[in-house]
Amino acid sequence: MTGQPIVRVRGIHKYFTRGEEKIDVLKNLSLEVPEGEFLGLMGPSGSGKTTLLNLIAGLDRPSAGEVWIRDQLISKMSEADLASWRTRNIGFIFQFYHLLPVLTAYENVELPLLLLPLSSAERQKQVLTALDLVSLTNRMHHRPGQLSGGQQQRVGIARAVVTDPTLIVADEPTGDLDAHSAEEILNLLCELQKSLRKTILLVTHDPRAAERAQRIVHLDKGRLVEGDTSTAIRPAPVGAAAGMQETGIKQQGT
Amino acid sequence: MIDELLANPVTLLCVVISLAVVVAGLVFAVTSPRMLLLVIKNLRRNLGRTTITCLATMVLVAMVTMIWTVIYTLDMVTTEKSKDFKLVVTERWQIPSQMPPTHADYLNPESPKFLPELKGMIGPNDFMTWSFYGGTLDPTKFTRENLLFMFVMNPKHIRSMMDDLDTLDPALVKKLGDTRTGVLLGPERLAMINKKVGERIKVTSLNYKGINLELEIVGELPAGRYDQSAIMSDAYFNDELDKYARTTGQKHPLDNKRLNLIWLRVRDRETFSKVGEIVENSPYFADRPVKVETASSGIGTWLAPYADILWRVRWIVVPAIIVSMTLVVANAISISVRERMTEMAVLKVLGYRPGTILKLVLGESMLVGGLAGLGSAVLTYALVNFAMGGIKFPIAFFPAFFVPAWGIAWGFALGAGTSAVGSFLPAWSARSVKVSEVFSKVT
Amino acid sequence: MIVLFGFLLILGAILVVVVVASVLASVFAIGVAVAPVRKVPFRYNLRNIQVRWKTSLVAALAFTIVVCLLTNLLGFVKGMDRLTEGSGVPGNVLVLADGATDEAWSNLPTSSVLQLPRDLQLLIEKNKDGEFLATQEVYVIGTHVIPNAPAGGPKRRFVQMRGLDNVRIAAELHKIELESGEWFSSSGVREIARDHNGSTVKDTALEVVLGSGLAKTFGQDVGKAALEPGDVIEMGRRYWYITGVMKPNNSAFGSEIWTKDRTVQELFGRQNSYNSYVVRTKDEATAKQASKLLKEFRSERAMNAQSELEYYSNLTRTNQQFYIAFMVIAVVVAIGGVLGVMNTMFAAINQRKKDIGVLRILGYRRWQILASILFESLVIALVGGILGLILGYLITDGVSATSIVSSGQGGGKSIVFRAVVDATVLLTGLLFTFVMGAVGGLIPSLSAMRLKPLESLK
Repeated sequence: MTGQPIVRVRGIHKYFTRGEEKIDVLKNLSLEVPEGEFLGLMGPSGSGKTTLLNLIAGLDRPSAGEVWIRDQLISKMSEADLASWRTRNIGFIFQFYHLLPVLTAYENVELPLLLLPLSSAERQKQVLTALDLVSLTNRMHHRPGQLSGGQQQRVGIARAVVTDPTLIVADEPTGDLDAHSAEEILNLLCELQKSLRKTILLVTHDPRAAERAQRIVHLDKGRLVEGDTSTAIRPAPVGAAAGMQETGIKQQGT
Repeated sequence: MIDELLANPVTLLCVVISLAVVVAGLVFAVTSPRMLLLVIKNLRRNLGRTTITCLATMVLVAMVTMIWTVIYTLDMVTTEKSKDFKLVVTERWQIPSQMPPTHADYLNPESPKFLPELKGMIGPNDFMTWSFYGGTLDPTKFTRENLLFMFVMNPKHIRSMMDDLDTLDPALVKKLGDTRTGVLLGPERLAMINKKVGERIKVTSLNYKGINLELEIVGELPAGRYDQSAIMSDAYFNDELDKYARTTGQKHPLDNKRLNLIWLRVRDRETFSKVGEIVENSPYFADRPVKVETASSGIGTWLAPYADILWRVRWIVVPAIIVSMTLVVANAISISVRERMTEMAVLKVLGYRPGTILKLVLGESMLVGGLAGLGSAVLTYALVNFAMGGIKFPIAFFPAFFVPAWGIAWGFALGAGTSAVGSFLPAWSARSVKVSEVFSKVT
Repeated sequence: MIVLFGFLLILGAILVVVVVASVLASVFAIGVAVAPVRKVPFRYNLRNIQVRWKTSLVAALAFTIVVCLLTNLLGFVKGMDRLTEGSGVPGNVLVLADGATDEAWSNLPTSSVLQLPRDLQLLIEKNKDGEFLATQEVYVIGTHVIPNAPAGGPKRRFVQMRGLDNVRIAAELHKIELESGEWFSSSGVREIARDHNGSTVKDTALEVVLGSGLAKTFGQDVGKAALEPGDVIEMGRRYWYITGVMKPNNSAFGSEIWTKDRTVQELFGRQNSYNSYVVRTKDEATAKQASKLLKEFRSERAMNAQSELEYYSNLTRTNQQFYIAFMVIAVVVAIGGVLGVMNTMFAAINQRKKDIGVLRILGYRRWQILASILFESLVIALVGGILGLILGYLITDGVSATSIVSSGQGGGKSIVFRAVVDATVLLTGLLFTFVMGAVGGLIPSLSAMRLKPLESLK
């Protein structure tokens, strides 16, 4: 592993208040993720894994502690700066896909690109590349309602990678899918990590999904329980320097 | 009051609708108080939407009530009454009507020259004459504030013949009669010229050149219809015209044209025809022929130039407002029905009958609409009549319009009615919701 | 009263702030929409309108009604304005008796330009035959018993009658031309044969020329589109023979009867008296100068002289009254429409909370969400509003109507005019639409903007 870890979480603390009650969700948590790693975050409900993901993705700010992504201290950014930072650096994949129902697959994928200073030709090229990556170019003019769950999640993945983000975060991406579709999605994520050298953070409580990760961290009651339950760390494929633009990814079997 | 109601089909319809809605509402409340509770709870669920719909209804009902006030008042004055007609005698062929003072003598029951044919048809309390005197308080400035326009008449006819002045304090009438140079002013006019009762004013005439008057303000006319008016005694006016003839050696150019209107009251239509025939054919009026018409028909002639505008207001403006009100309600209700389709389906599963669901939705919208309409109309009534001094929209010689008490029925009927119409389609779609379809959509 | 006033003042101030804020925000939203860098997902908004077309249509229809109504009412007032403006001829001076604010109340003796001082005479224009362009006119409002008056309607109407010493000069002065027939003869009377109980009897009729508007009104009484030269009407127990009908020229004269001055004077007991003198001067500036001189030249009996344009512009008080009333109606009805669109937009946002959350997570900023929702409500408003403008134009422009113009209480002229929907009316309607869409969209957009992305996804 070369260079600095891409994600550095230092001693973060997060609590919510519900009425009079103060609920600690994350307690003095630190974590580092090297570039190109596929990290699985596991833990029971309420363990704080989604909260941690949100903090790393810049959707929320910690009550204390620091979150660094590359060389940026995102835990101190203003909300507006965070928004534009997210566009360029984070790709989101949601459990319920969260595609805009009135837009076609193509338009959904294009959404984040509208925020970047791109010409329409450049946009089109990137959207098509991303859709090709998830093998959905043939259905790109369909609306989410006309697609299966697995297909919708593929559109979600295309939307997540279309801006060539630094980090892809996926919150239970297979949670709402049947076994077969879930398998497809996980294959796709692995491939992204391998061929595009994307850093992926996967939150899940599905052991099958976790299996695909190179490293697994367990969260329990807001603390990390590392090591003992993690599967063997597989080395990240070094040297496969591949930017999105250069790839015309073909589907490979696992 | 009841006569007015029967004479005006729109108001009658509104009263009938209001009564029907109230009765239906009461029956609903008594037979199924639980349902009513459910309706109220549903309304409280999206307070924002309920408020917006309520506000829209109130604003539009207030507008319609005000517009209809003008239309209604004009309708009422131009509708022929069936008894106690007031008649106007004016110069036959031209405007402004200017008649010699002798014309009045032939029609005045208390004058020795009173036409004998008219005996028994017109009593001493059924006669009044008007002259119009316009002047300015400051001859160097002809601003609206300085202008004073007066009814010149015999004070003893005020209570018996002037509309809405039958309740005027008799002491005030007596004071006007006793003070030769007295004048009664409307409260707004008084405020406009910045004078108080007891003060004197000098008036330089505009229409009677050279007849300038010094008047003493002896009292105030009641607020409302006479806010801007002024009444002075004809004795002083006639004296001044005589004085002009004495001092200048010649009669004033308008001396023989000083009478503008003669008012008579008759029992019924038959008497009106008789009086009309006698007066219009009498040789005594031959030098300046007169016409006799009912007050409503006379006013109708004056309003004729406004007929097109009033037609537009009645048939385009008011319906357009009502339609847009219905659209606003339809929109709001269809939104809440769509949002609650699943709930409606659940209710059906629980055994609610389609009719009950229809009633729930209709009840919800009519409760808001009816209450908003009622509230708006009451507010409009209070604000217009007591705070604004009427709707200041001078048409012909109506300076301001006052919302009638029936206006409250218009508001209620309008609010409840548009809500019922507007929510009917959404309510119907709620009624006919297919349980299976709704649940298959929820994934 | 003071409390009420204060309350209204505060209400008004709030309204102004809301309107200004909404308009600024909307201008901004549109600016962003057309700017080369597309930063707001407007296609998403257009799609939403498409998908929720029923609700959008109902909201848009409310706009259509309001704007159509406004266009109709303003077109009406505009028509009245056009007519009053068109009645005065630049350079004409109208002389009335002192104190008279309206022609009907004025009383002047017989007079001639030759009685004026030389310097004043020089200001008055002559026609090609060398005659002074000056008339003395007697103007009365008579009552006409409407033949076959419909039951319940008025039985009489007022007609405006103008007696002229020289009708050809008067026509040139007032720029009136004949549509058909000819001017009345210098005697002003002619023999007619009329039907009386089955037999034909001879009678003397007074000759008149009718204004185009009046020819139509009278025509309707007897079931014709308009009266024509050769027709005879009965009025004031006399017969009136129509020698000609004026061209419609959008002036108050189109609602008058013109006849010989003597006819009017004898019939209405106005021997040797006139209501007004009118003279033509070179231009409006000269008219003003001449008015001043005319007012002052005789000390014993002052006259009230003014340029005709001034006189007619004073006659627009009724127009203004209706203009204000119509505007108030339009604004109030617009508030209703705005509340309707607000409901639609609130519901739209409520249904799309998740979408908005996703957009925010993808990196869209608050202002972009605001612009996007505002844009959506503006599109609904404009679609409805433009439809309203078109409808309003179709049902209003060129429609003939009657009304009254006056300078205030008393007097006034009843007129026949055509409603006009011109650029200013259309622009006012468009502006109205825009403001309504902006106000109706702003508050919902603000609430959409304030949604918290993480919470809205739950």
